[in-house]
Amino acid sequence: MLRSVKGLVCHTPKLDHGHALHTTAKDWLSSTVSQDVRILAERSRAIFRTSENDPANHAEHHEGCHYSIPLQEVKAVFPHGLPSPFQQQIKTFNEACLMVRKPALELFAYLKSSSFAHPAIRYVIYGEKGTGKTMTLCHVVHYCARQGWLVLHIPDAHLWVKNCRELMQSSYNKERLDQPLQASFWLKNFKTTNERFLKEIKTQQKYAWGKRESTEEGRPLGEVVEQGLARVRNASDAVGVVLKEIKQQCHLGSFRLLVAVDGVNALWGKTTLRKEDKSPVSPEELTLVYNLRKMVRNDWNGGAIVTTLSQTGSLFKPSSAYLPHELLGKEGFDALDPFVPIRVSNYSPQEFESCYHYYLDRKWLQHEKARTAEGRDELRFLSGANPRQLQRLAGPL
Amino acid sequence: MAAAAARSGAAPGRGDGAGGDFCRSLLKFIHVLLCGCCPRCGIFVGGGQGSLVPLYSPKHTFLLAAANKKVLFRIVVPLPPAQSNVFIHTTGHLGASGPLTQVRWSRYNPQFLEPEVNKELFQKSSDELSEEEKAKQELKAVRPIKAAPSSVCSSVFSDPMISKFTNMMMKDGNKVLARSLMAQTLEAIKRKQLEKYHQAPEDEKEKIECNPYVIFHEALKNCQPIIGLCSITKGGKTYQVPVPLKDNRKRFLAMKWLITECRENKHRRTLMPEKLSQELLQAFNNEGPIIKKKHVLHKMAEANRAYAHFRWW
Repeated sequence: MLRSVKGLVCHTPKLDHGHALHTTAKDWLSSTVSQDVRILAERSRAIFRTSENDPANHAEHHEGCHYSIPLQEVKAVFPHGLPSPFQQQIKTFNEACLMVRKPALELFAYLKSSSFAHPAIRYVIYGEKGTGKTMTLCHVVHYCARQGWLVLHIPDAHLWVKNCRELMQSSYNKERLDQPLQASFWLKNFKTTNERFLKEIKTQQKYAWGKRESTEEGRPLGEVVEQGLARVRNASDAVGVVLKEIKQQCHLGSFRLLVAVDGVNALWGKTTLRKEDKSPVSPEELTLVYNLRKMVRNDWNGGAIVTTLSQTGSLFKPSSAYLPHELLGKEGFDALDPFVPIRVSNYSPQEFESCYHYYLDRKWLQHEKARTAEGRDELRFLSGANPRQLQRLAGPL
Repeated sequence: MAAAAARSGAAPGRGDGAGGDFCRSLLKFIHVLLCGCCPRCGIFVGGGQGSLVPLYSPKHTFLLAAANKKVLFRIVVPLPPAQSNVFIHTTGHLGASGPLTQVRWSRYNPQFLEPEVNKELFQKSSDELSEEEKAKQELKAVRPIKAAPSSVCSSVFSDPMISKFTNMMMKDGNKVLARSLMAQTLEAIKRKQLEKYHQAPEDEKEKIECNPYVIFHEALKNCQPIIGLCSITKGGKTYQVPVPLKDNRKRFLAMKWLITECRENKHRRTLMPEKLSQELLQAFNNEGPIIKKKHVLHKMAEANRAYAHFRWW
């Protein structure tokens, strides 16, 4: 079983036994040996890895291969977007490797060929549990970030409709409710991702935050974000202002906007939150959800809206539901209609092999039987080629 | 049908009186139908509906089984050592009280063979099999085979030691939770070791063991005591006598100490996988509280060496 490249390259000096060999001969020997090693390593790596790290250049022949994102970029582009098992994996393997799969390549083709003078197209990524919808979304986010788009990434819309400790009445509109903690957390991560845009985009009207605090017209958007972070009470309104400004200025063409929402079915479902008089809160009464719904409408141009359906964090939805109509409900489906559906399914045989070899290469599969053909077949059978199941099975092995 | 009849058998001297008394006393607390023959003294206890499986035990123990051979009750019948046949009739109702102990226990005929779960054996062609394996295969054609217990697995990744440890960790029969805790423990060990591996310099990489199964087995081996102590009472005083331990007992003690240590002596809010992985890694490196406990036991046994002759087995 081929060990990692680093190990092989380091062992080559020990291969030339001839200490008495002439220096030039020794060099020649070591260079040919290392060349062979490199060719062998490249051939094996070609199965499951690719050195093409720019998502824009990913094509069909890269399908099934893993490409790595430099760790600095991960911190900048994904302060909050990656699923937690993947984050643990990054920490253990010391690298962030994403698999190039068909749904993502399909999305890239659409994004490249869409005209930005037309209203924004909505893409809905759907599929069964654990098939890779969030990872596809992250791939698209990375692509757009590399292209220089402004990325509005909401990692999990379900977090906004459940488990909220502080629910305050909004100062802007008496009927709505604010969520200061969630809003400020999101603003902090938004700031990390899009530093340079916050300096370039200017506000187009005056916003008054209170009796003494206000943001003038023509100030950079970064000030609004700072205001939201400093005064947590106004964080939800700050989010609303940011979304409104970005949407208004997107059609001017100075930047492209990507709205990436994971778990978009949370915006039209039910919430588990209650007001002080114990009456249930519906999603449109939350400021954050209300503003996000406006963002997901296709009445603006100059960008794209890529969303994911998710049953995992959803409320009051059966666990077997995965189709758009089941998860969005009538209201959500009508709001998102028309959209381009993108189906994500379990690993194909080639993708499964690639994932299996990646785990072996990173020494994640340590059991001695996991390297055998029986072990591989058993993993394939038990996981059913489902990415999440494979990852959970490979954990203890 | 509440009549109880006792018929005494061949032995002279013991008339109806003894059998009758016995029957009546039995009737006070048993309302079951028994039938069977105690093999030790040949007493036939007869009845109607149920059937009894005679037991080879010092007491006259009978199993009451329903018509479908499913064992329901075990009754210890203190029959007088006489050759008397006892018939006990019952009402249709089964009442359980007195010396009735409920037991589900199937005892296979010695003819039954163990099931073979290992797939590799079946994939070998007949040339590769050794003599004993060939003999075993031929025997399987004529002998019946026991049912495989539900905990035995034909997966290539199954490990009997890990299964035993999981069973010992289980509480209230929650095997799902115990298994997931075990999986998380192994994953935690692997993650810790892999992080160390990736950060280590090249020459030290080979020394770091990343396989959680190897670490688990090695740690358990390091925790096993060689010699144990047994309380023996002699002349009114109880002495702690050093005694050799069987393999099973050693494995059991190692696992028991590991689990008790993790359950009791750790901070309340740490999770079991975290605690277990820490203990296992420490035991793998021959350090930690469980190795200390083992050494304490060895020292005690060494100190009580003088009483070793109290052991008679």
